[in-house]
Amino acid sequence: MATIFFAEPELVVGHGRRVLFVNPDDLQIFKEIELPPDLATCGLKVPEPGSCPATGPGPGQEQQPAAAGGAAKQREATASGSGSAAEVAVQNVSYSPDGQLLAVTTSGAQKALLLYRARPEHARLLSARPLARAASALRFCSDSSSVLVTDKTGDCYQYDCVEVEAAPRLLLGHLSVVYDILWSEDQQHIITCDRDDKIRVTNYPATFDIHSYCLGHREFVSGLALLTDRHIASASGDKTLRIWNFIEGKELLVHELPAPAMRMQVRELETDKVFQAAMLLYDYEDALALFHLERSGRESWAINLTQLVRADAGAWNICNFTLTANRIYVTGAVNERLELRVYDSATGIPSKGVPEGWLKMVLEGLHALPDADGNCVNFQPEDLSVWFKKRFDNVSDYLERKKRRIEEQQQQKSN
Amino acid sequence: MVTTEEQAQNKHPGREPAVLSCTSAVTGLPQKRYYRQRAHSNPIADHSFDYPARPQDVDWHAMYPNIQEGQQVSFADIGCGYGGFLVTLGEMFPEKLSIGMEIRVKVSDYVVDRIKALRHKSGEAGGAYQNIACIRTNAMKYLPNYFAKGQLEKMFFLYPDPHFKRAKHKWRIINQALLSEYAYVLKKGGLVYTMTDVEDLHKWIVSHMEQHPLYQRLDEQAANADPITPKLYQSSEEGAKVVRNKGDHFLAIFQRL
Repeated sequence: MATIFFAEPELVVGHGRRVLFVNPDDLQIFKEIELPPDLATCGLKVPEPGSCPATGPGPGQEQQPAAAGGAAKQREATASGSGSAAEVAVQNVSYSPDGQLLAVTTSGAQKALLLYRARPEHARLLSARPLARAASALRFCSDSSSVLVTDKTGDCYQYDCVEVEAAPRLLLGHLSVVYDILWSEDQQHIITCDRDDKIRVTNYPATFDIHSYCLGHREFVSGLALLTDRHIASASGDKTLRIWNFIEGKELLVHELPAPAMRMQVRELETDKVFQAAMLLYDYEDALALFHLERSGRESWAINLTQLVRADAGAWNICNFTLTANRIYVTGAVNERLELRVYDSATGIPSKGVPEGWLKMVLEGLHALPDADGNCVNFQPEDLSVWFKKRFDNVSDYLERKKRRIEEQQQQKSN
Repeated sequence: MVTTEEQAQNKHPGREPAVLSCTSAVTGLPQKRYYRQRAHSNPIADHSFDYPARPQDVDWHAMYPNIQEGQQVSFADIGCGYGGFLVTLGEMFPEKLSIGMEIRVKVSDYVVDRIKALRHKSGEAGGAYQNIACIRTNAMKYLPNYFAKGQLEKMFFLYPDPHFKRAKHKWRIINQALLSEYAYVLKKGGLVYTMTDVEDLHKWIVSHMEQHPLYQRLDEQAANADPITPKLYQSSEEGAKVVRNKGDHFLAIFQRL
């Protein structure tokens, strides 16, 4: 997915088997991570068939077949020499809130959660633990003691970051892919959103107990952001941005968007009060929209559109972005190659502040530019259209036949 | 002749409503042979359901014409099949509203027509069966869309699809993740009734429910003392079939803590 995010002062970009930590204002690479082609060489244990990565208190039972099947598949893919589609690739990257740890999930032949110690200088691998399925979202808890990984089947696993080799625990399950996950600051709640329009607030550590639902969206909920100790923002394919009191499951504000929102990034400008939110829009002439979110009372908020960013929408396959104080970094694909473009948040036009040669340095560092032999890491962004629900009609036909049958019977009666 | 049902009724005022005319001439009830459907449905896939975004968006009045202000559904029969037990529930608890939820198109339509016919037979608005209704929905996905936290007093899972294959165990209506959702819509002290003729499934249900911290199984004495218990053995069609086959039934009742 070509992960990208900004963690002051580093801009972090992951692509293929590499993650680059760069200074956005200077030709300086703080650090880089390169995954080996076979993660077994860095300690990933392929789970034995029948052994389950989830050994939580009970819930793991029904996960076994999938995990075992996945393991068998992983083994096959590794044994048969990896085809390009099955190559290990960085999926998500996240810093722990204390900045000490770094979590990386991989997709492809070997799906794993890699945990690194980020400081003092170069990232040092602490553990490589198998994932049952490719991750859909990744989030550290606020005290950095564990990290949550969700997947396309809706399962949410907790990986301990103190006992770095500990098996994951299955914490909760949705019936469809979970697109984003949050911890409340006090770690009393886990907030998840899914393809079935739901935002679920689960108590922690008693995750068997659902605290509330925030319901109202009419399509997938693609992104969540924590605003205060009881307020969140959510972005959805139903073309709305909403603000909720998640403790009460109460909708506070609905803001219409010009198009479905596929990803959301929120920056805090003033603690608990003012935020900047940016959305990646689906199939719209302006790829990105920027909003100003401001708390205007205890339970009231105001949302204003501040800037639309065209970002050459339509001319390339945009897949992700991140915000810094004054710029938007957008990743996407051109001819199946990673492309990175930078825009000015205040004006929406291509940024002039990017140092000369910086883009080339980043793309080269990610092996996204062809080398002397014309080889580079290809990039095929995810097809976002599959996020929308398919409405196949299995009712009209039946009702039509029923109506005809009734009419025939009536005619027979009246004859 | 292409007319809507309403027009058809208006043209022939003396006749039964058009919707009832695949009904039996003897009992006045819809005939099941017009509503047969295979027993399995994939509960994970997309379907064309019109589901409410939130419980407060549900038009309960359309389902329960006599519903009182502030009154809400208390009992839910999940996977109600042809509605035999739902009808019994309606008769046993005239003051409570019961809902049947069924994913299969024809089967849920049968229940809707059956309730319509029962209401018609008992004299429409003033008569019986005003307290039961059926919706076609995927209960595995949309329960929180219909019910508020702690709303339901009783939930029934009678003869659920056993999904024998291991790979399909995630489709089972009782699984660890879903038990938390059921606990959410259930009142504290509310009851979950499960019944199956598949011993392995019974063991699965009991082990998952007992592992879940929010449920406690009623002991045999308490389960047998529940006035609903004898009805569970009698009133679902699937149950009746099992009785004829002399199969074993496995009942378990759990309390939401």
